[in-house]
Amino acid sequence: MPSNPLPTGVSAEAFSTALASFRDALGASGVLDTDQDRRTYIDPYAFGDGLDHEASAILAPAEVAEVQEVVRIANRFGVALWPVSRGKNFGYGAAAPVRRGDVILDLSRMNRILDVDVQQANCLLEPGVGFFDLFDHLWTENIPLWMSIPGNSWGSVVGNALDRGIGYTPLGDNCEAICGLEVVLPDGELVRTGMGAVGQGATWRNYKYGYGPGWDQMFMQSNLGVVTKAGLWLQPEPEMTAAVEIAFPEFDDAGWAVDILADLRRRDIIQHNVVFGSPVRAASVLTQRADWYQGEGALPEEAERAIMERYGLGWWNAKVSFFGPAFQVEGSMQLMRDLFEQRLGRELQFRTWHQGEPYDASARGVPTTIGLQSVNWFGGRGGHLSFAPVMPQDGAKVLAYARRVKDIYREVGQDYYATFTIGRRHINNVSLILYDRDDPASTGRANTLFERLVVEAAREGYTEYRGHIDYMDTIAATYDFNDHALLRLNNRVKTALDPNNIIAPGRNGIGGRD
Amino acid sequence: MDLRIVVFGLATTMALAASCAADGQEAEPAAPPRLPGQIEAVTFGLQSDEPGARLYGRECAYCHVGRNTGTIMLQHRLPEGTPAQLHERSNLPAAYVKIVVRNGMVNMPPLSRAELSDEDLDLIADWLAAGPTR
Repeated sequence: MPSNPLPTGVSAEAFSTALASFRDALGASGVLDTDQDRRTYIDPYAFGDGLDHEASAILAPAEVAEVQEVVRIANRFGVALWPVSRGKNFGYGAAAPVRRGDVILDLSRMNRILDVDVQQANCLLEPGVGFFDLFDHLWTENIPLWMSIPGNSWGSVVGNALDRGIGYTPLGDNCEAICGLEVVLPDGELVRTGMGAVGQGATWRNYKYGYGPGWDQMFMQSNLGVVTKAGLWLQPEPEMTAAVEIAFPEFDDAGWAVDILADLRRRDIIQHNVVFGSPVRAASVLTQRADWYQGEGALPEEAERAIMERYGLGWWNAKVSFFGPAFQVEGSMQLMRDLFEQRLGRELQFRTWHQGEPYDASARGVPTTIGLQSVNWFGGRGGHLSFAPVMPQDGAKVLAYARRVKDIYREVGQDYYATFTIGRRHINNVSLILYDRDDPASTGRANTLFERLVVEAAREGYTEYRGHIDYMDTIAATYDFNDHALLRLNNRVKTALDPNNIIAPGRNGIGGRD
Repeated sequence: MDLRIVVFGLATTMALAASCAADGQEAEPAAPPRLPGQIEAVTFGLQSDEPGARLYGRECAYCHVGRNTGTIMLQHRLPEGTPAQLHERSNLPAAYVKIVVRNGMVNMPPLSRAELSDEDLDLIADWLAAGPTR
């Protein structure tokens, strides 16, 4: 059961007074502090009960001015705030703060789609707007703009971009689609970045950089302010799409497949992040582990082969889509055939769509929660964690790394589940770690595996681009050039902007001091 | 973590699984009732005149309509013959719906009062409780 924690360094009496001030600013419905309220914000994928990251209260403003007032009150009482857009960052801690007792600042109620500029292909969003909300709006209004969709679409469009989440259609580097932010600084001042800083923002969503330093990146994966509005670019509906799923039969095929696909990505022939994954990726959504294997240790190779056979999968299974004028898409389809059909010994089967046809056959991103199903792998209450180091687009290197990781999974006794995500110039070899959160042996294996992967990747100079709340310091420490000069810079900026350490202490290893 | 990474290929995977069953290559039980496609699921209730249906579409359908995680979880757990989509159920008392939403259930996370107000939850719970003949 929840245990009434307090924000770090704040007495019960002072916190009670602070809550009264927050209620004055937000009204009674804007301050959630019953046991049940606090329970609803515990990370649903926590190891065990999750009380080690339990919040003391939740604040839910509906307006920018309320966010400013909350930040001012928090400074007055020394109450640290943990801002979340919608709190659905599953696998990274969801809404839960790094430090037990910090107050969650939930922006879910700020969920207005402020504008969609159809001709200029952009929109202006509040942080509480979810992927389903934006899709519904574009659909209902019959707006010919498409959006980038992450695997778990329950979360916030803006929040996902700020944490550098990705999608799998053009403009799928979601942080790159951001164009100008409105931010409440840690002292309560309101600032707009880029062209948003000019007048009423006539060109806010047209040009990212403004004049002088560009600050949008400063507010991503950081704790230097609270983003209250974001400009975002959208994709104009193309004339045609074609999508193909490619099964690579053997583990070692990852080497050559990565080299070919990454080359197409570097040339922008493939315009989106490509992902390909191992058999457990599909099996964990469609079935449970016990359907395949009930013994101890990692899923044996025979079970992996059985999954492949049952679903007609390869060891790695990729989906590639093309978007554009018909002549261009058809040319790309021919190129793919030339590159892959002879090597694979079979024809590629494309699913094509032309403007005006029903969208079900298109490569348009449609939000989904089906990926959340993977936590049902063990039955019971499940969770997942990932380790996704940034690597060069070099097939031999990523294959060698993946082989070592596969061996480590087996040594630890964890079912191997990996994907490669091919970005514009990098690859993530994502190690997905599924566990039963109520089984200490299972969560212990997950932790052991994660820690070993950090060490293994670091041997080659690779590390994560994003972090779970339990491992933010661990990952920050791997950015170690010149005795961690980057972390010192981050903390100098943090101290300058947020001397009371009010905004998200410990986020990405920054401002972690008590 | 990377929920984003798990979805690709599933459409084909499922199509393959379905075709295997149809070809008699797998000893599968009878095919489950047809589920709506993803766009139909995502836009469920959008045009409804009933506030409860619109709210269910906005706050619940992304998991509980179509081939999304709530449907699949419940397909695993419910007795045969019980619909996995909540709006097709006839045995969901409003009080039960509210308890599950606020407390979560197994792998369903709870929904907070900031995300879904008590007033809106009441409308959803009453709409579900009315059953499919509503």
